Amino acid sequence: MLSRIFRTTEVSAHCDLPCGVYDPAQARIEAESIKAIIAKVADNDDPDFRTRAVVIKEQRSELVKHHLWVLWTDYFKPPHFEKYPDLHTLFNQATKLAGASGTKGEFDAAKADELLAKIDEIDKIFKETKAA
Amino acid sequence: MPVGLGVVVVRGRSMEPTLHTGDRMLVLRGAPPRLGRLAIVRLPDDDSGNPRPLAIKRVTMRDPSDRRRYWVESDNQSALGVADSWTHGIGSLAREQIRAIVLFRIPHRVRIPGPRRGRPDLG
Repeated sequence: MLSRIFRTTEVSAHCDLPCGVYDPAQARIEAESIKAIIAKVADNDDPDFRTRAVVIKEQRSELVKHHLWVLWTDYFKPPHFEKYPDLHTLFNQATKLAGASGTKGEFDAAKADELLAKIDEIDKIFKETKAA
Repeated sequence: MPVGLGVVVVRGRSMEPTLHTGDRMLVLRGAPPRLGRLAIVRLPDDDSGNPRPLAIKRVTMRDPSDRRRYWVESDNQSALGVADSWTHGIGSLAREQIRAIVLFRIPHRVRIPGPRRGRPDLG
């Protein structure tokens, strides 16, 4: 009887994506959240909501950088950088777009779109290296 | 929604440092959410249509664009792959998606005063 009442249910406080897997999708998911936050804030002027959105957007931007840096430093290897000479520049530009002059510091939907486009460029190269 | 007590166990890091994997919580099913408090929620299905597991989140505010809906957040926003109202286009939740409120965390073990049992006597 007691065990029926107090049946334990597992509740998740947990990631949607598997950890320890290299995939630009992780950076893209965070960048899409940033884009959604910018759209949501443009739609309403509730001060509490805006304050919270600023904090969350900064944290999400840091996560984009984190995911990009993991790809840059851990996944891609010297032969990849030889084959794709623009790769370093792409990572530099993408992380800059997630930084203080980009989505971290500003509420600019265009910056979020640019960031997503850069992540797509990296993803294209990533997929080519996976196929090779 | 019938009201009743239940026990849940936490898995994952998205509620750290408030809660950790393995923490057990006493919850009240069907009770109305309270702002600032923890709740057990049913998040919408993911992009591939797969149901997300029941999750524990903090109810932080009402949706400013629809006061009947609730905004839920993970305490640990720097955890990788967090899913809450801010991410994955989830947004606010309807009242019925908030399945239970969390009453309290059940202590890991209750210390009973007096001499320790089952340990070598070092005296």
